Amino acid sequence: MTDERPDPADGAEEAPSTPEPAPAQHPVSAALTPALSSTILATLEHQGQTAFVVRSPDQRALLEHLRFEQNFEYLKDVTAIDFLGRDTVERFQLVYVLHRLTDHLTIRVHAWLSEEADEAPSVVDLWDLARWGERETHDMFGIVFDGNPDLRRLLMPEDYPAFPLLKDYPLKGRGERRQFPYLQPRGGEMVEGTPPPYPVTIGRGMHTPDYIEEVRRESRPKGE
Amino acid sequence: MSLDPRASEAPDVNAGTPLPTAATIERELDAGRSKGHLDTVFEVQDGSDDQRLVMNFGPQHPATHGTLRSIFTLEGETITEADVEIGYLHTGFEKLAENMTYQQWVTVTDRMNYLSAINNNVGYAIAVEELLGIEVPPRCQALRVILCELSRIADHVLCVGLQAMDLGAFSVMLWSFEKREVVYDIIEAVCGARLTTSWTRVGGIIRDVPPNFSDLVWSFVNDFPKLHAEIHYMLSSNRIFKDRVQGVGVVDRESALSWGLSGPIGRASGLELDVRRDKPYSGYDKYEFEVPVQDTGDSWARYQQRMAEIEQSISIVRQALSTLPDGPVVHEDFKTSLPTKDAVYNDMESLIHHFKLVMLGHGIRPEEGAAIYSCTEVPCGELGFFIQSDGTDTPWRIRIRPPSLFNYAIFPRLVEGGMISDAVAVLSSFHVIAGELDR
Repeated sequence: MTDERPDPADGAEEAPSTPEPAPAQHPVSAALTPALSSTILATLEHQGQTAFVVRSPDQRALLEHLRFEQNFEYLKDVTAIDFLGRDTVERFQLVYVLHRLTDHLTIRVHAWLSEEADEAPSVVDLWDLARWGERETHDMFGIVFDGNPDLRRLLMPEDYPAFPLLKDYPLKGRGERRQFPYLQPRGGEMVEGTPPPYPVTIGRGMHTPDYIEEVRRESRPKGE
Repeated sequence: MSLDPRASEAPDVNAGTPLPTAATIERELDAGRSKGHLDTVFEVQDGSDDQRLVMNFGPQHPATHGTLRSIFTLEGETITEADVEIGYLHTGFEKLAENMTYQQWVTVTDRMNYLSAINNNVGYAIAVEELLGIEVPPRCQALRVILCELSRIADHVLCVGLQAMDLGAFSVMLWSFEKREVVYDIIEAVCGARLTTSWTRVGGIIRDVPPNFSDLVWSFVNDFPKLHAEIHYMLSSNRIFKDRVQGVGVVDRESALSWGLSGPIGRASGLELDVRRDKPYSGYDKYEFEVPVQDTGDSWARYQQRMAEIEQSISIVRQALSTLPDGPVVHEDFKTSLPTKDAVYNDMESLIHHFKLVMLGHGIRPEEGAAIYSCTEVPCGELGFFIQSDGTDTPWRIRIRPPSLFNYAIFPRLVEGGMISDAVAVLSSFHVIAGELDR
């Protein structure tokens, strides 16, 4: 369907013209400077789509190059993947989807981000789309983008205590609701009540036997 | 009055408590704390002649057509600052995807853009098919194109109708609803549901269309141009309508490019991008159609753009319907696509295939580590799915690139400096679907 194989008419890769049947280098990577090429850890190919994998602060220079030198003017998406529990280079991977209008070529840049660093360079000065793209990634993964002027929560409430798309955030179960202040009736008026202490931290160990027992206890009718 | 939300519910909010000063509110806004706290309309007084007013526009406002909330700081009727808060319909679709099989998640895509659910179904099915590297039969492709374009017509005509309704022309909305019902009747005949269609499966569609499908669609496409002409007659030279939308909410091409606008909104600003033409999917390269583009980028251009796209969609439906091939509607390799119900009940091998596909832990298993970004053109713009596979039958991660989200991001900048009524005109021309915006 989508055909993104390198265009043989591109002048950048014609120059060496090696006759050996080496795999054709992608026109985008052929036009990279040696300094940028050395930062690329791997090039992923699947169904004709190409992705360049780098380590986190390096994607800034690569994206700048792609934006200004190779004319990828249209950023389609910014997102992240959490590889918790898998044997990967780092825990997080940032994903940038770039598009070039002249030949309608779409490539991706993946950037490994370690759990400890937790901070990535922002690209809002290159594409305005990153304002909300990075905001949502921050909202869902807790990744901080250094340089984004408006890194508030986007979809979740402002005082939400967790980051839902992390793999250690449970799909089921309740608990996060208790992190909000709530009112309870006392002496004829509503006063701010303290929620009972929450047994486990958000996102980890939600389904421990203690917790399940506590949920059962709470769900029994009053007065038993 | 206190900024605390609990205080605003108390009956004695105005009893002697001082109103917050502009400085207080600005500080709160800077700290990002006042989101969710501005529950009431209140006036800002700091002793000077500052008469700014902070007003909530939505989430329950008739002109938002969904749960969209904007916070406007007003000086008189003029909006000096605008901020939006989204997330009221956030349902965690992406989180759900990580816990469902590839086939199961089709139902979730209905709930994104509920006005044209077929387009979401098709977009998702194409994404998974691209990940697996399979191509569906020609009849399935043509049927997908027909239904997608019918949904696009219904979506666009509804948007134009609502845009007109927000600006005072109520009849157009009623006419557009009437014709939209016909599209929904066709969709109902095809898949049994009107809104939540779940029509596609990975590798095909649920079942072939009913025998009277061609007649239904032909009667619609022959009948529809009358409404199209009527809307043109009603709005395109309507002085009141033009005065409200011309020169309002102008997006230039550079902004559209940088903010990642797509679909009719991007093309109304001269951004000539259409996935159907740039990267033809589902056999769109077999049909002849133009990609109309406007250059003014205002709400008027967005209205004209949608009207022009409806014409092209009608043309595509005519072409696809007159060249509709016969044949199967499901990919022949039943290791990845579900066999038909008939075959499952009457054929041992199909039963085994079905069983293997729906049992948890079997199902469709893309290559481990494979990732794909697949995009399709839906009525709102470019709908993308980024899928990361881990080699099991559930995706490791699915990211939805919703067109409405990135189209809406520029909205606060457009309304600043305008009037409240201009904000209504801009918002209705943007046609933001909250279900897709928040996912």
